[in-house]
Parts: sequence; C-alpha cells; structure tokens
Amino acid sequence: MSKLSKYDAIIVGGGHNGLTAAAYLAKAGKKVLVLERRYVLGGAAVTEEVFPGFKFSVCSYVVSLLKSNVIRELMLPKFGLEILPLESTFTPFDKDYLFRTSDPDQTYKEIYRHSRKDAETYKRFGPLMGQIGMAVRPILETVAPNPLGINFSDIVSLKKLFSHFNGLSDENFEYLCKLMTMSSSDFLDEWFEFEPLKATMAASGIIGTFMGPRSPGSAYVMLHHYMGDIDGSFRAWGFQRGGTGELSMAIARSAEYFGADILTSASVDKVLTKYGKACGVVLENGDEYESNIVISALDPKLTFLKLVDENDLPSDFVRDIKNFRIRGSSGKVNLALDGLPNFTALPGDGPHLRGAISISPSYDYLEKGYDDAKYGNFSKEPYMDIILPSVLDPDMAPPGKHVMSCFVQYAPYNINGGWDDMKREAFGDAVINTLAKYAPNIKDIILHRQVLTPQDLETTFGLSEGNIFHGELTLQQLFSLRPAVKWADYTTPIRNYYQCGSGTHPGGGVTGSPGEMAAKQILKKWK
Amino acid sequence: MKDYDVIIIGGGINSLVSASLLTNQKKSVLLLESKNILGGTAAADEFSPGFKCNMVYDYLRWIDPRVIKELNLLNYGLEFREPNSLRVSLDETGKHIFFNSDPNKTLESIASHSKDDANKWVDFTKFISKLTQFLEPLYAITPPKISSMGFKDAFTMRKMLNPVMNFGRKGIIDVVRTAPMMMPELLDEWFDSELLRASLSSSGITNLTQGPYSSGTVLNFLHNHIHSSGKIHNAKFVKGGTENFVKILAKIAQEKGVDIKMSSMVKSIKCNNGVCKGVILSNGEEYNSNIIISSLDPTNTFFNLVGNNYISPKFQTQLKNIKYRGSTARVHFSLKKCPKINGLKEDQLDSIFSINPSVEYLERAFDDAKYGRISSNPYVEFCIPTISIPDYAPYGKHVLSATVQYVPYHLRNNNWNNDLKNKMINNVIGVIEKYIPDFSELIENSKIITPLDLEISQGLTEGNLNQGEMTLDQFFFMRPTISTSQYKTPIKNLYLCGSSTHPGGGLHGTNGINSIQNIIN
Repeated sequence: MSKLSKYDAIIVGGGHNGLTAAAYLAKAGKKVLVLERRYVLGGAAVTEEVFPGFKFSVCSYVVSLLKSNVIRELMLPKFGLEILPLESTFTPFDKDYLFRTSDPDQTYKEIYRHSRKDAETYKRFGPLMGQIGMAVRPILETVAPNPLGINFSDIVSLKKLFSHFNGLSDENFEYLCKLMTMSSSDFLDEWFEFEPLKATMAASGIIGTFMGPRSPGSAYVMLHHYMGDIDGSFRAWGFQRGGTGELSMAIARSAEYFGADILTSASVDKVLTKYGKACGVVLENGDEYESNIVISALDPKLTFLKLVDENDLPSDFVRDIKNFRIRGSSGKVNLALDGLPNFTALPGDGPHLRGAISISPSYDYLEKGYDDAKYGNFSKEPYMDIILPSVLDPDMAPPGKHVMSCFVQYAPYNINGGWDDMKREAFGDAVINTLAKYAPNIKDIILHRQVLTPQDLETTFGLSEGNIFHGELTLQQLFSLRPAVKWADYTTPIRNYYQCGSGTHPGGGVTGSPGEMAAKQILKKWK
Repeated sequence: MKDYDVIIIGGGINSLVSASLLTNQKKSVLLLESKNILGGTAAADEFSPGFKCNMVYDYLRWIDPRVIKELNLLNYGLEFREPNSLRVSLDETGKHIFFNSDPNKTLESIASHSKDDANKWVDFTKFISKLTQFLEPLYAITPPKISSMGFKDAFTMRKMLNPVMNFGRKGIIDVVRTAPMMMPELLDEWFDSELLRASLSSSGITNLTQGPYSSGTVLNFLHNHIHSSGKIHNAKFVKGGTENFVKILAKIAQEKGVDIKMSSMVKSIKCNNGVCKGVILSNGEEYNSNIIISSLDPTNTFFNLVGNNYISPKFQTQLKNIKYRGSTARVHFSLKKCPKINGLKEDQLDSIFSINPSVEYLERAFDDAKYGRISSNPYVEFCIPTISIPDYAPYGKHVLSATVQYVPYHLRNNNWNNDLKNKMINNVIGVIEKYIPDFSELIENSKIITPLDLEISQGLTEGNLNQGEMTLDQFFFMRPTISTSQYKTPIKNLYLCGSSTHPGGGLHGTNGINSIQNIIN
C-alpha cells in the first residue's frame, strides 16, 4: 500500500454533482481530489463513442435543470458549455400528430387543430406552472432544515414555516398543494381534454419514476421537470454540444482551472475513518489518499451501505437508508442510424426531428406500460422520449448518419426472473417494434443498437437499481427527508463525511444543485 | 311556516350529532331527511322479503370520543359486542389470520405464515398507534387557512401540536414520512407474509378508486385506525346492529327537542345577496332559519340546492374538481342456511371476513376499474349479520352481506344494466365460493347496491361513501375544497357538516362536532 499526498477534500464520484462540488471547493482555495471509478468523467452525464464514429449521451440526454448561478459562478461557457435548444415536442399517434414548439402562436394553432378549448387553456397553463415553479424555487435552494430541530411550539417558527407561501395567490397555493399530492392525470384533467396532449404532458410526471400517470404523486415529478431553466428562461430544454458528457467536462475543466485534481479509473473501495471521523479513502487497487473531509457523490445506498461500515452508523439511520426507495423504472436504447426515421404521421425531414419525440398517445397507453412493470415485466409497448442529437450537432455521427437516443419506460430493475442477455435483446426488440409502428423505416436504417437495462445502468454507472434520480422523487423522500431525516443538510452521522449526490435535496436531474449546495454548506462550516 | 334557529339538511350520523349539540346551545333545530328512515348509510333495511341487512356498514371503525361524552351515548344504551376476532383474513389453505383486539393473540395466527412477522407484530401495532395518536388532535380541529396564515392560525396550530410534543418529535416525522406512502412501501419495512400484507393493504384501499400501489393509501389506512389504540382492523360492532347507533342518536335528538321531519326532501336553499335564508321542500313547504347546515356533499349542496346562479365560477370549478369516483358496492345474499367457511368452526362466524390473497390480487382488481371495468376478481369483505342478530332473517335462514371493490361508478362503454349487475354478483359469488364451496347452492336471493344505486338512493355523488375520496389532495385544509375546509361556505350562514369535510368519511361524528364548534365560535 502506498501513501499519497494529503488533500483538504476528496470527492468520491466524478459525476456532474461531484465535479460541481469539487469546483466550488477548489474555487474557495481548498485542495481537492475527485476520484472517478470509470475511465471517463460525467457519471450518468457522459458522452461515449459507443460505436466507431457514433457518439452518444449514453444516459442523461437532455439538459434543462442546470442552475444558472452554477453556470455563472463556475464560468462554464468558458469551459465548453454550449446548449443547443430543443425547441419542440412531437407526439405521433394513429394517423395524426401533435407538434408543439417554443413559438406560442404555432403551438396555439397546432393545439387548436385538435381542441379549441385546450389551445386557450394552454396559454394560461404555461405561465401558471412557471409561477409555481418560481415559488417553489426558494425552497429548492434552501438547505433542508432538520425538522427535529425546529421548535414547532414556537409560533414564530410555525408562521415562518408557512410564510414561504405568502407570495403565492390563493389560487396558485391551491394548485401547488394539488401538484404536491395528485396524479399528473388528475391534475391535467382539470385543465385539458385532448388525450395526446395530456398524455405527453403527463409523461414528464413518470420519467424516472415507478408510477403511472394515474398514480398520486406523479404531478410533483411533472412540476420537478417544469422547474428546468437554462440561463433563467423557464422550461427550456436543450442539448449540450458534443453530448451531455461535454457538460460534465466543462465542469471538470472549471474544477481543474480552480486547482482540483481529478483521477479517472480510480475506484474507491472504502472511506477510511479514524476515531469516528472520515480521514481519507482507499481504492480497490490499494492506494490510499488522506484528506480532512470526504464527500460522496454516489447514491445513498452506496454512500452509506457500501463505502462505509454499517456498524459506524446509528442503527435507525441504517434502517432509514435501507428503506430509502430507489427502484429503477427506465432503460435507454441508443441507435446508430443510416438515415433519418420517417414518421407515418408526418413524413420526411423537418423541424419535428429537431426536438423531442414523445411516444405517448394516451393515458391508457402509458398506464398499460406501467401495468407491465408493476407485475415485473418490461412494457411491451413502452413510453419513449426520443431525440436525434446528430440533427442538432452533426459531429455526433459520421456524415449522413445519425444517432438516436431513446429513453424508455418502463423497465423494472426487479424483472421477473432477473435480467439476462435474452431479456435485454427482447426489451430492445420491443422498443424497435414500437418505434416501427410510428416510423416504419426504422428497422432498415439501424446500423447498431445499444440497449441499457436498469441493471446495466447499475453496473455501468453505479446507479443503484438503475434509478436515474438516486432515489425516487416521492413526497416522503423530498426536502428534509432526502435521504433521511436529520441528515438532509449534506452531513452524515460520520464526522467529516458528507454527501452531495442526487440522493440529497433537491434531488435528481442535471442541476448541479446538490453539488453546489453541499459545497457551500461545507464551506460555511469549515472555518 | 315556522322559523328555526338552525335547519339541518340530511338525517345521517353527522346531522344527528350536530342537531343534538346545537340544542345544548339553546337553539331550535329542524332536521330534514328525504327518506322515511334516518341514518343515511348507517341504516338497515329489508332487501328481500323477510331478510334485512345493514345497507352499507356492518360495523363502525371508530366513534369520536367527544361525541360519546358530550351526548352521553353510553347512558343511552350504546353498547358494543366483542366478538372473538375483529376480522378474519381468509386463506385458501385454511391458515386464516385472526385479527384480535389483543395483538398477542393475533400474532399466533400470523406465526403460521411467518415467525418473523409474528415477532414484529406488537411493535407494528405500537407504531401505528403512535401515528394515529398524532393524527387524532389534528382530526379534532378546524383546518387552518394556510395561504393566509396569520398569528391566530399559527396559535391554533401550536395548540394542536402541543399534545403531540408528548409523543416526541420523531412521531411527527413518522407521520409526514408514512402518510404519503403506498401500502406495500410501508409493509416492505415490516412484513413478508403475503396474506398479512394483503390484509393490511385492503384497509388502505377502503372506498378508494386506487389500488394498494397508489401513493397515499397509507393515509387511508391510518384514517381507518384513528382512535383504535393500535388495534389493527379495528371494528366496533354495535349491539343490535349499526342501525341501533342511529336509533340512539335519534332518540337523544328528539329528547333534546330537535324537530325531525322524515320524507322531507329539500329542493332548494333560498339565497339572497349571498346569504341563505331558508329551504324549500319538494312538496312546496318552506322553512326559514338563521343558519343552515348541510350534511350532503358539496356537489349536491351547491349545484342542486343552492344553484349555479349563486356561486362564483371559480368555486364551481373547485366543486367540479372534487374526486368522488365511487367504486364500492354492497352485495346482500339471503341464504337457506348458515354457510360453512373452510377451516372455521361455527362459533367463529361472528366476525368480518376478508378475501385478499395477495397485494397483487388487490392491485389487479383495481386495474379493471382503472380502465372502467368491474373487477373480475374483486376484493370482498363479508359478514353474516344474522349470527348476532337472528331477527334479520326468518328462523334458520341467514344473510351474508359483502362489501366489494372495485365496482366503478364510471364505466367505459357500458352502463349499470341488469346484465352487468348479475355479472358483478357472479364475480362475487365466484370469489366467495373458494372459501364457502357450496355457496351458490345456499343462495335464495341476492341484491347488489352499485355506486350508481348509492347515488340515487343515498344522494351520494358518484356513489362515494366518503363524500369524496380520502386522498392526500383531499385531506385536511384541502377537504372538500380549499375554500370550504373551515366548514364555512361562500354562502353566508350556510355550513357543511358531512363526510365531505375534514376529517372525512366514516360513522364517527367528528365532522358534525367540528362543524358545530366552529359555528358556535
């Protein structure tokens, strides 16, 4: 065993949150080391050339939630952040389609074609969700308090607890309460009538979640996706030039610029403790690194049940972490294509291929997909959120060729009989067959395909159970309860051991927020 | 035409409780019931010549202790029977689980499924008891108006939270963490045995059009266990049948001078400049009063009695968005003789029996309803009321009453015709026959009460027994709408006191007592 130099902070995991935390700490003058298990940085926000000439954002494929102050403070544009806007959503169904873009007039006309009432309502709905998103924002940007520490018997603190909502009108407060508790279908039914529109909007309430659009709680996930902003404009989705991995690389370059050391192919085996305090890490190859503090960017299961010894933690905390729900529900299919898919509903090339393509014709379609997963099977006809990055960024594929990224739901981690190669291929086939119903030429233009099951997401990217959010976004796993009560402020029961992954408040997505907030919280306490 | 201080619309439990409590305040009270029988869903009636049944409720889950005390119910003869088991969850191989008031007895039958589960049982009951003890003070208050919460509301909240502090801060966190869960999520933290998990889950789906895999079903489970002190599947069997509870409440009301008028259907509530003045009956009679309290659900109260002209479009939208979606039906069978249940002795038939082989079974039953179909394999809980009340059937004969989910009000490409009713009855028979093999041969007659029937006969919108689903988005200050959760309504002097209000459905009287306390204040 060789002993290497001592750091102020070691960050386990070079995903975007780990890198963000590293950059903030380095910027504050700390000597920081990031250790990444894989050969490449980014975690689930990664770009890889899976097939020669074809580059893929292997997991996370769109960027929307990245916080504007993180972009600014870490000077990310200088280090390569460049978001190409994804301006539309295309929903094919039967013989027709719904095509919404960022142009309100176009969208109004398009929805009007299907439902006059919805076209009118849609104009009000967007701003409303924006207002509610803005109202929730301060909560997301607050370090979650320890409810065991708040003095409820104190009137002032009770009043303060609710004063957050004083800025909201009565009406918006009501909507917020409903969004926190309802199913996305119930919530949308109060507004809209046109099924493909409702289903496509509801779909953002099931992404990464083991729920159907009719499951209570899905409305919150929908709101979570509405809070995306790129440079301050709400609900704008985009694609990072060069793939999502380039975004991680931009953060990494920023961290290095501020002086952080980053090591890849450095798999941490254990966090070392001395007298109940974290004091470094040991790698699987036996290398040891010393540091004053250790920060884990891994999910709560790995952070507490693998990196450290259960016996070093209080038993009720271990129970809470074991009870933390982290069921994976989605897979990913990446295709290398010889040309562009040709949709029956809207043939040929066109602007509809430059945005998101959503296979979500109706609530029932999504629900049936969920039913399959509920009973331990992948959806025979899955929901898909598809983009064609090479249309926006030709460097992603060789000239004339294309890459297609299909986020697929549902694929349960705990599939009946377990995942194996045959099931993976069958899952891939289900995806292709479903696609072929909408774009029949797809089978002829596929050159290569990569199918990632939730189990692959676990083994390749270290996402426990393949959950893309490091833990489900249910009410009881948010804010002060994420990942466990008393430990939602990025600290852990082990002194000098911290957490900064998506399993902490405010949760998953390429936001940089947990990394940023953890780093700032740690720096506040450092002196 | 006679004038009263207060008119109460509807003759159910909450109305009777409210009426009696108001007379304590020296108010003159008129109670109007549309049918010729009091009690609403708590009544009993003949369903087949010579055979009588509890129309909806075979038992109560809990009664608000304040109601028992303030109306002195025990002195008026309210008594409860104590059968050996509160509930028996049936097992196809005869390893039934007997839920007993004493958890140490319950765990004996759990042990035949899993020793581990049996070992955890007492702790589980304590855990649930702790959670419900937190909710109990919350149930007894008028929900605050949170959006405009001032120091006064904060003070109420503090008052409410004070007793809670005695249970420890962790208790609050446990409730906040647990209530939004889905049943299997809670159960994953405790038990392995499928029958036990399913049996507990069945309590989480009571009267919901949701399956156990839906978030918030734990809240419904807790709702069923309020004031149960950790007795799982708590049930209070009223001596003389559920209707006896109604009779006692009616007797108290009458003694206290409440004017009770039967067969008096209210046609409309008279409003003038946003203030209610009195009611008009469908027979043309009119009554005036200072205050009107409606125990009907808000949809009936406002759309049918007040009328669209008197309510704002915004409030109309809120009303339209209340989720009712009844999916519970009752099926009553008249039987030639006493049925034999596999693996049970004759002296074990005085209980509630539930058929819930697995959590997945319940979820699949729900899947049917999700797509607007009746469950082909429904969740069934049944009881044989004639074991304790032989009068409900001719000598030697019996009644079996089943509560069935899911039987959706909202059907797709179908309606409640006789064919569908018969199909549903057959589905129920098919399920029961697995446990009572000769069941179909015993049946003389059967009657199904669908959610549509409940809407027509009981005035329950969409046949929801709780006057609105017991879900998180319709709980506390969101019940029945955020604008009416303080029992007040946008119409001055018109109040609500039914199950539609906080804290929701059941024959507990809490809605009534909360509403009256609020009106008096």
